[in-house]
Amino acid sequence: MLAQSSAHGHGPARSRSSHRVLARVGLLAALLLFVAGSLLLEAPAARADTPRLILGTTVGLQRTGLLDVLVPLFERQTGRTVTMVAVSAPQVLALGVRGELDVLLVDAGDDAAPYISAGHGIDRRLVLHADDVLVGPRTDPARAADASVPDALRRIAEAQSGWVSRGDNSALFQLEKRLWRDAGLDPVGAPWYTALGQGMLPTLAAATERQAYAFADRQTYLERRDLLDLSIMVQGAPDLLRLYDVIVVNPAKGIWIDDTGARAFADFLVGPEGQALIGGYGADRFGQAVFVPDAGRAEDALRPARRAAP
Amino acid sequence: MTADTFQAAPGGAAERIAPSHLQLSGLVVRRGGRDVLQIDALDVRRGEILAVVGPNGAGKSTLVTAMGLLERPAAGTILLDGEPVDWRHGALAARRRLAIVFQEPLLFDTTVDDNVTTGLMLRGVPRREHGPRVARWLSRLGIGHLARRQARTLSGGEAQRVSLARALVIEPELLLLDEPFAALDAPTREALADDLLVLLRETATTTVLVTHDRDEALELGDRLAVIVAGRLVQIDRPDRVLREPANEAVAAFFRRRRRGGPA
Amino acid sequence: MDLFLEGLIRALTLAARGDPELLSVTWLSLRISGGATILCLLAGVPLGTLLALTRFPGRGLVLAVVNTGMGMPPVVVGLVVSIMLWRTGPIGQLRLMYTPTAMVIAQCVIALPVVIGLTVAAIQQLNPKLRLQILGLGASRTQMLWLLVREARLPLLAAVMAGFGAVISEVGASIMVGGNLYGQTRVLTTATVGEVSKGEFGLAMAFSLVLLLLVYVVNAVLTWVQQRGRPL
Repeated sequence: MLAQSSAHGHGPARSRSSHRVLARVGLLAALLLFVAGSLLLEAPAARADTPRLILGTTVGLQRTGLLDVLVPLFERQTGRTVTMVAVSAPQVLALGVRGELDVLLVDAGDDAAPYISAGHGIDRRLVLHADDVLVGPRTDPARAADASVPDALRRIAEAQSGWVSRGDNSALFQLEKRLWRDAGLDPVGAPWYTALGQGMLPTLAAATERQAYAFADRQTYLERRDLLDLSIMVQGAPDLLRLYDVIVVNPAKGIWIDDTGARAFADFLVGPEGQALIGGYGADRFGQAVFVPDAGRAEDALRPARRAAP
Repeated sequence: MTADTFQAAPGGAAERIAPSHLQLSGLVVRRGGRDVLQIDALDVRRGEILAVVGPNGAGKSTLVTAMGLLERPAAGTILLDGEPVDWRHGALAARRRLAIVFQEPLLFDTTVDDNVTTGLMLRGVPRREHGPRVARWLSRLGIGHLARRQARTLSGGEAQRVSLARALVIEPELLLLDEPFAALDAPTREALADDLLVLLRETATTTVLVTHDRDEALELGDRLAVIVAGRLVQIDRPDRVLREPANEAVAAFFRRRRRGGPA
Repeated sequence: MDLFLEGLIRALTLAARGDPELLSVTWLSLRISGGATILCLLAGVPLGTLLALTRFPGRGLVLAVVNTGMGMPPVVVGLVVSIMLWRTGPIGQLRLMYTPTAMVIAQCVIALPVVIGLTVAAIQQLNPKLRLQILGLGASRTQMLWLLVREARLPLLAAVMAGFGAVISEVGASIMVGGNLYGQTRVLTTATVGEVSKGEFGLAMAFSLVLLLLVYVVNAVLTWVQQRGRPL
């Protein structure tokens, strides 16, 4: 049973196995380099001497692209690095309370004043306002154009012209609900009222299709104006304004708060250069400004304090 | 290495015995709180084939685990060539001097070549030596033609030959075989046992062969060690064990009976 | 259906002209998720192997925690890691929030239980006597672990693929700790979500298709490695 044959040659096997070892070592080295590279990715600016200034703002404002113009300019001028965190307005305020942000640029609405008085922020200044508009078909069957907001809404309800609403958890929808209530109306369930439950673009698309009325933020309307067959009916009313404040987070929250940088940013926003950029934004794209620079104005001048909610 | 010793044989004459290779004394192995193995004294001599027999569940496999230094006994000493085993690093230094083959081939999911090279690779034998040594042992076990095959495609007999080659290529001082042929059919078992015997004699490897097959033990063993209920009952040459069994249990183990006849 | 087509065309157009944003986002996805997977492989396989083979008090608890971790929602991981990385948090002074490193950390937390859990299963399905046989051939403890890992390489490769799949496709943790910062922490998943929220469904679909392609290519390669030389 035992063979007495000579051993197999193992020359080829030997060079093959040394190739394999080399391949394995090479693979391991590549993997380790990959890991090291991925960990040392663009090492955080904190490692260098310029720490990052963390700015909290809303998704809505970031989406307009305004900050993509303002922030790089500020960075170039001051040599600072800004990290822009864009989340919802309540989240911005909450992160500010925790001291995770250095400066806020946010439309906090009624939450702004209590925020300051509670000591979370200092040095609050009005920077700009954006606004929402009431849009509708060019023919304006309900004769809503240039009326006050409550009047426009009443006429639309009477004429039973179509209305498309966002119907989601956006700030705009919350505003809309309040405005209907202020006009003394409750249109939900009416046959001419549609709550889409979707974002701004689908809402406007539906409004165009049905030739109905709707609320929209000016930016989105302007972006899609060519595709929409809608005109602005009502604009500029105080209720439709969204005021943005810049708030420096209270440095008492911790030594890591870069309040110097925060103040510099706030100064930049309300300074002549910043305000000019804000006022000119959108001119070349849309032929009209999207924002109105408001530095130095009192909030009450733009929007008188509302009567207490019923 | 201890020198040859002499012992008195029955009948008075002195017979030369080989020096002790592996020595157990006072060995106790505990499992789950119970003492499953108690060996007061057991001596494996250099170059001999010691067949360890006994009924199922007697503790033979436990004995292999203990001798193979795979676990540390609860009590007792183990001497290798007269020196106590150094238990550091799981007795690595001592374990590298022996090799174990089990009832299942327990091959790795790779080629036969790769499998057989394992022991050499573990010991850091230079790569250039691997090829010739592996080839030599594969051919000595008659499986040279299987070198490139994937281990999982082998038959039971072929696989067990590979397992043996994997152990023998190391050229261990001490070879422990735990029922290596038990899973094979009779013709395969006989062929393999024959070949193995030739190889063990050639290399004079000290071997401990555990088996529950008494014929195998009688044919292959230079000495028999009978384990019953965890204790070493008798250890002696096969003829002496048959002629003078130490107790009824041993006698019963080796007793032949005709099928259907009285016990 | 037109959205799929639009997405496909957009993806092909962007790829054809080598759109730098698409390339950088894709490369970042690969680096972050690939890096996290490799780290979890290097840490998780040894840990899983030891966990499979060692008896110690509390082992059952550790295994239960690992198995729970396998099903942990990424957004929960994102929240927990954020709390740790916040400047007010325990390791806040590292200033890692909103960096790719933070994303790697979060993805490691997601993938590690997956790799460990599947490694434990892979090792435990090996023949228990194999360990003794390896020792019986003269292996040290480390060598024994290495040989067992090698023996379980097929299911272990599946574990790696599972870990990679878990992190390349997650978005909850990436958005929370990364912030989806343009040019810095924007990866394929967060970019998709971002574009959807802007209403840019076509571009979102394009990013999604690239992501699917990336996942497919990586898994195809790993599957080939796994199945090599195993004709049934």
